[in-house]
Amino acid sequence: MSWLFDLFSRRSRNVHFGLVVVLSLVLILGHTKINSFVSQFLLSSLYYPFFKIRSSFEDAGVRASDLDRLQKALVEASVKLSMCQEAQRENDRLRAALGFEHPPGYRLTPAKVVSISGFGRHLPNSATINRGAKDSIFPDLPIINQDGLIGRVASVTDDYATIQLLTDPSHRVAARLAGSREMGIVKYLAQGGMMLDNFPVQGDISVGDNVLSSGLGGVYPAGLKIGTVVEVSRPENNPFCRVKLKPAANVRSLEEIFVLRPEPQ
Amino acid sequence: MTRIIPFILYLLLIAMHEVIVRDATTIYSAAIDLPGLLVLVVAIYKPEIVCTWFGFAAGLVMAAGRPDLFGWHALTMAALGLATYHFRERLNLESLYSKVVLIFGGVLLHGTLVLAVTKEAGFLYLWLVSALPSAVYTTAVGWAFFLFKEKKITFQKVKAVF
Repeated sequence: MSWLFDLFSRRSRNVHFGLVVVLSLVLILGHTKINSFVSQFLLSSLYYPFFKIRSSFEDAGVRASDLDRLQKALVEASVKLSMCQEAQRENDRLRAALGFEHPPGYRLTPAKVVSISGFGRHLPNSATINRGAKDSIFPDLPIINQDGLIGRVASVTDDYATIQLLTDPSHRVAARLAGSREMGIVKYLAQGGMMLDNFPVQGDISVGDNVLSSGLGGVYPAGLKIGTVVEVSRPENNPFCRVKLKPAANVRSLEEIFVLRPEPQ
Repeated sequence: MTRIIPFILYLLLIAMHEVIVRDATTIYSAAIDLPGLLVLVVAIYKPEIVCTWFGFAAGLVMAAGRPDLFGWHALTMAALGLATYHFRERLNLESLYSKVVLIFGGVLLHGTLVLAVTKEAGFLYLWLVSALPSAVYTTAVGWAFFLFKEKKITFQKVKAVF
């Protein structure tokens, strides 16, 4: 037995290398079950923690890219929703405009408001539309929308026209009450808002009455709604009432309007 | 028992390199051959039997995902470790450059053997585009390692540069 020990100690290098060669040959020529077992052992002992680390990093990367993608999709969806809501509002306005009956003897020319000026503490007093002389628009044509009278064309270029709104303090409209047919003059005061002027104290007027254009003066046809009476006061020693109106059309939110053009005779 | 702990750590390093670091450090088709580099470094500094067995184990760990090639990888790595040990014994390896040349030759030989073992088509093409650049890349990493190990570059010197 000692000779084997001597051989081992003297030739340990060869024994070790021989063992390595034999083990390698076993793995090369041996059964696949042995190789699979060794592979499983190495993968589950040495590789497993690093697989977990790598997969957690990859998951974090996927989550980050998912988050970016979802945020982008959310922004896109928000923009689409806003556009849809805007289209819905435009649809509602146009549907309302379709049901609007214009005065006989006039034809409607649709136009879009491209700018409104005179904002500040008071209501705007003028606006610009995308119709001009090329579209047979000329000064003094009445401007309306589905809610009522807005103003008149003040000046015209080839492609654009400027509107003098009812809220311009220098503007006057001959008006009458829809019920009693009594007349007055609508004007806009920077301090007091829209008023029905020159209405006698004996006149039949009450809150809620509609005020229409009378047709006098030659600019506006009769029957266009101007506003509604919201306040009536009869001051002593004054022959006229003080009548406050709420304008029929909201001049702050003008978008689609119509120019009333007289039909050719 | 405590003497084998560093070698287990080296094997863990190989596993980590194969799973996490390898893809991140690959430049085109040139990858760091960390198993080969570790076997060569162990063969330069450790006794013959240690480098033979470490080569065998490193070959197994390196080929853990390819059980059909286990034996070949283990055998080539053990042979590489043993051959490097004998080169070290017969050559003067005091010089840094001789170690770098040995690393380059060893890694190139390992890359060539791996290509031969895996029997992939286009051996010469793969040798040129993969084995040779990988050997150069690994040699550069090995060179940096020896510079630090032999204290030719220290953190103080690096700090002094900046």
